[in-house]
Amino acid sequence: MNEKKNIVDDHHYSHDHAHSHLPSDPELRVKALETLLLNKGLIDSKTLDELIDTYENRIGPKNGANVVAKAWVDPEYKKRLLIDATSAIRELSYQGRQGENMVVVENTPEIHNVIVCTLCSCYPWPVLGIPPTWYKSDEYRSRTVREPRKVLLEFGLPLDPKIQIKVWDSTAEIRYLVLPMRPIGTEHMGESELAELVTRNSMIGTGLPKEIK
Amino acid sequence: MSRLHDMGGRFGDGLIPVPRDGKNEVTNFEPTFKYEWHAKAWAITLASGALGEWNLDISRHYRECLPPKDYVNFSYYEKWLAALTNLLIDKELISLSELKEYVSAAENGILKKFSDNDIKLDQRTWLAKDVQKTLGWGGPSVRDIDISPVFNTGDKVITQNYSPNKDISGGHTRLPKYAMGRVGVIYSYNNNHVFPDKNAHDLGENPLPLYTVEFKSSEIWGELAENENDSIFLDLWEPYLKPFPN
Repeated sequence: MNEKKNIVDDHHYSHDHAHSHLPSDPELRVKALETLLLNKGLIDSKTLDELIDTYENRIGPKNGANVVAKAWVDPEYKKRLLIDATSAIRELSYQGRQGENMVVVENTPEIHNVIVCTLCSCYPWPVLGIPPTWYKSDEYRSRTVREPRKVLLEFGLPLDPKIQIKVWDSTAEIRYLVLPMRPIGTEHMGESELAELVTRNSMIGTGLPKEIK
Repeated sequence: MSRLHDMGGRFGDGLIPVPRDGKNEVTNFEPTFKYEWHAKAWAITLASGALGEWNLDISRHYRECLPPKDYVNFSYYEKWLAALTNLLIDKELISLSELKEYVSAAENGILKKFSDNDIKLDQRTWLAKDVQKTLGWGGPSVRDIDISPVFNTGDKVITQNYSPNKDISGGHTRLPKYAMGRVGVIYSYNNNHVFPDKNAHDLGENPLPLYTVEFKSSEIWGELAENENDSIFLDLWEPYLKPFPN
């Protein structure tokens, strides 16, 4: 037997799990750890505020909606987006953490794309922000690769058996965004109006853009 | 052989917990962070990561290494907190006695944050003024290195059928169990990326060719496949793949 094989990476087996010393109430758990790190000068409270404010108020699905709306009205932009999404998205100043390597996959009358991360919760932060709870749930992670049609039905999205589903499991550092189809009857609408129709779920593949009344 | 986080395809999970409105329609919005402690758990994890004592693959592996009973019982951000605690101790940024002291103070309601004047910031500490810049850079995993990919687009490949991590038993890997020993087709080559199987164990970045591989759902699930036209795409590093037929 290969000796290297005997190295089992469970360093935690050898001693107590440090995390088992945390209080049972998660709120207290955070408070204790946060205060310890603050007092040791290892984190700065202003940095925490800035991070939380950024993702609560500045980086979210509105960014992705702007990308999609631009692709709907500008065929040249759409071409760039499908060839090199990272650069095309950077044109709108969306870039960086958890969006370093973007790929945009296009829905067509024949193909419907769905994004999942079965191993953790990989998600394109610069264009969609922090993932919603359901995206990180065991249910979504386990079922979407095996029964995407049942999952989409739970999102109110029945798909014709003739439409091919492509499920993209984000197992590396590539982050995916779905380019949904432009709703019919929106020919008269401009980019910013169209962006209002683009829902977060339509860019994950678990929904469609809003229809116009 | 795998760990609990590797849950793609498993049986037993119920309905997707998606928020719905009064008309039972799926809603597209929920708060970024449901509770303040979620936001804090997330933010202290990012800020601690910025100290540079570990990489993204190591932090993922620490979450995956939580004992199965904890992994199952913990909510999402509880997993983050537990893994962060273990990392902080193992990397000696905090000590167990400090942790116990602060936990005891928190439980007794006598937790005290020092005044800003009494706190001496560590040299590595991530400052608020650098947050946007650092987020904008991100942490690219592509490495500009001269390695030619072995496979071409359209090549048939078969995935490793067990224990993809060749260095460490039970080590970190990004080849999910459900896609092991399956035949797929190279859809694209995406340059050379830091190899998590090494990087998660401080064994170096070892960048290697990364491919997107298409698998027919019938190849993965057999008769259980919902529709034989459907496909699943995975991003897989070269060592996870062998030519098919051999």
